[in-house]
Amino acid sequence: MKKLLTAAAVLAVASLGLAACSSGSDSASTSGDPVTLTFWHGYTEADGDVLEGIVDDFNAAHDDVKIETEVKTWAVIDDTLLTALSADQGPDIVAMPAERLPVYASKGAFADLTDFYADDASNTSELNPQAVAMETVDGTPYGVPTGFVPLSVFYNKALFAAAGITEFPTTWDEWVADAKKLTVDQNGDGTPEQYGMVLPDHATVANGVWPSLFYGNGGDVVEDGTTAVIDSPENAETLEYWSKAVIDDKISPTGVDGVKADELFSSGKVAMTIGGPWMASIAKDNAIDYGIAAIPAGPKQQAASAIGVSMGITAQADDAKAAAAKEFFSYFFEPEVATAWSLGSGWPPLRTDIPASDVADNPTVAALTEIAGTSRALLPGVVNSSDVLAEMDVATQKALAGGDVPSLLGDAQAAIQSTLDEQ
Amino acid sequence: MTTHATRPPRRYRPPGQLGGRGPIGGQAKRRLTIAGFLLPALAILTLFVFWPMLSALRLSFTDASGFGREKFIGLENYTEVFTDPDILRAMGNTVLYTVMFTPLAVVLALALALALNSPYLPFRGVFRTWLFLPFIVSLAVAAFAWQYLLDPQVGLLNYWLQGFGIRIGNVLQDPVLAMPTVVLVAVWKNFAFYMIVFLAGLQEIPGSLYEAAKMDGAGPWSRFRNVTMPLLGNTTGFVLIIATIAALQAFDQIYVMTGGGPYKSTQTVVMQIYQSGFKDLDLGFASALSYVLLIATLILSLVQFFVTGRREKDVG
Repeated sequence: MKKLLTAAAVLAVASLGLAACSSGSDSASTSGDPVTLTFWHGYTEADGDVLEGIVDDFNAAHDDVKIETEVKTWAVIDDTLLTALSADQGPDIVAMPAERLPVYASKGAFADLTDFYADDASNTSELNPQAVAMETVDGTPYGVPTGFVPLSVFYNKALFAAAGITEFPTTWDEWVADAKKLTVDQNGDGTPEQYGMVLPDHATVANGVWPSLFYGNGGDVVEDGTTAVIDSPENAETLEYWSKAVIDDKISPTGVDGVKADELFSSGKVAMTIGGPWMASIAKDNAIDYGIAAIPAGPKQQAASAIGVSMGITAQADDAKAAAAKEFFSYFFEPEVATAWSLGSGWPPLRTDIPASDVADNPTVAALTEIAGTSRALLPGVVNSSDVLAEMDVATQKALAGGDVPSLLGDAQAAIQSTLDEQ
Repeated sequence: MTTHATRPPRRYRPPGQLGGRGPIGGQAKRRLTIAGFLLPALAILTLFVFWPMLSALRLSFTDASGFGREKFIGLENYTEVFTDPDILRAMGNTVLYTVMFTPLAVVLALALALALNSPYLPFRGVFRTWLFLPFIVSLAVAAFAWQYLLDPQVGLLNYWLQGFGIRIGNVLQDPVLAMPTVVLVAVWKNFAFYMIVFLAGLQEIPGSLYEAAKMDGAGPWSRFRNVTMPLLGNTTGFVLIIATIAALQAFDQIYVMTGGGPYKSTQTVVMQIYQSGFKDLDLGFASALSYVLLIATLILSLVQFFVTGRREKDVG
């Protein structure tokens, strides 16, 4: 028996060794082989298939380069990239939510793309400058955009019809007036059963709801990536305007975050939500007849914070791989490819020279392309943007719970400035 | 003459000593055998515990981020730990959490263990199983379930309570109620383990002591006070220490249910370590904060160990 066990153990060890040998010989490359790049991205839906198609076409057209994609969720990419890169097991190209790129770039994880942008053949000159702004840290670009889309309002057409509203509002006052009409408290207990809109007060969709509202009244959160400007009379007006609408007019439930806002809209409990393009398919899945509109203009301007996705070349890629990756980026921005990607991903084209009529096949994309010009990058160049946004959340959350707006903005200003000074 | 005559008299060897049958080289062989048995466990501990701990200690004096070269920055990280208002707030929150969690979980566990140990309780096995169920569920899963139960719009708890005219509102977004809520979820999840430990302790106490106390006229409270509590001293000390350590490491349900909010009111030290290390990629600072937590845990455990140890002596 003992001998049998020993023999089995020896066999098992030997087979492990064999397995190791065989996998080793697979990856061994000879000099004639193409440069092989690993590309991590989080496009898991239909957009993933389109991206896969673009990569396949690129591989087919380039004998010397082979890109192998690995699809993971965005969260998994964020959780594993650091350890993978430090163990030299990471990707050569990686896509990630744009607000995470500066954190990695500041730690030296991404290659400098200044020369790439300067090269005419890179097809980057027509890119939306706001989309490029979110790739830049201290004046150096570390990535290229793969997506840039303004937040927009999704509204429930059935609820609008029931309230007799035929035109979507275009100013804040009209917006609040319509939201009041859409707020229904049937049993009169002071808690509406249906809300006109949902205004999340923290962790909003892509953290962009409050910046969008601040821009609308001429305010901002951070200037030049280094100076906190959240404590301004414009922002105080904005916060007071919306906390009054939420607290006094009860147009929105309180204490809601972005995820919860999506749920409330898809369950038909609220008539309007501010969201990203994925709301279209969520609404469709929940049999909600929805419309898409630009965030109504504030007293000063119409503006919307944008959601961005970036991709960059990691520090792990050697010169040959970096050159191959840049070749792929240029291909990705060719007008036909950019148009196909826009239609497939459901996001507006990254090139400003592609008109809405070119993407009319997808009405959502066409609607978003119409308003793409007003979209603004969120906190471009701010490395620890998540800390800045957390401080902004404290102010908005307390304001919507009835806090004193001027002192909240004062506190946020001090906290954000000290966060910016640390980076 | 036989060989028997020349053999030295057999010396007594305690059964605990392994190996070394002959007198020559016995000691060395025994040591080798002991080392042989310890080696696999030691190798695993060294690889996955001691080495990472030492690496973290080294990182805590650097500005490491996981990429490229790291710079030695002395005690800068440690200075920041004790001056950054966010970290100090997280420490305060952790203390608050511990002060709420530990007594509540331990008292509840003891009370239920006493009830389960009572011979008068029918269906003891059933209750024991039911009460132990929450402990089997992963805390993250339980936290998701509680989050939905507590939801102000679609949550069952709010719906049921509304039937009685009670509105608990959005507890997880209430700066005062969020912390007690995450504490209660942790108590619900963890009390059963402490209960089982208490139950084992209770069953060690000989029944004859209770009989003797009864004959001396001791009532239930007096029996609990003078027989149960002193003899459960060791168990109580152990439970207190592990409950405190668990409280200091609070993370899962907070990450899932509140994300540290509202207004960072449930941001604990471990949440902060996660944020610094894996979101801000500031591994050096996260390591320093981990070491501060480790030392605080160690000190607290030692204090409890000596306090409960001394009480044992006083009683004994």
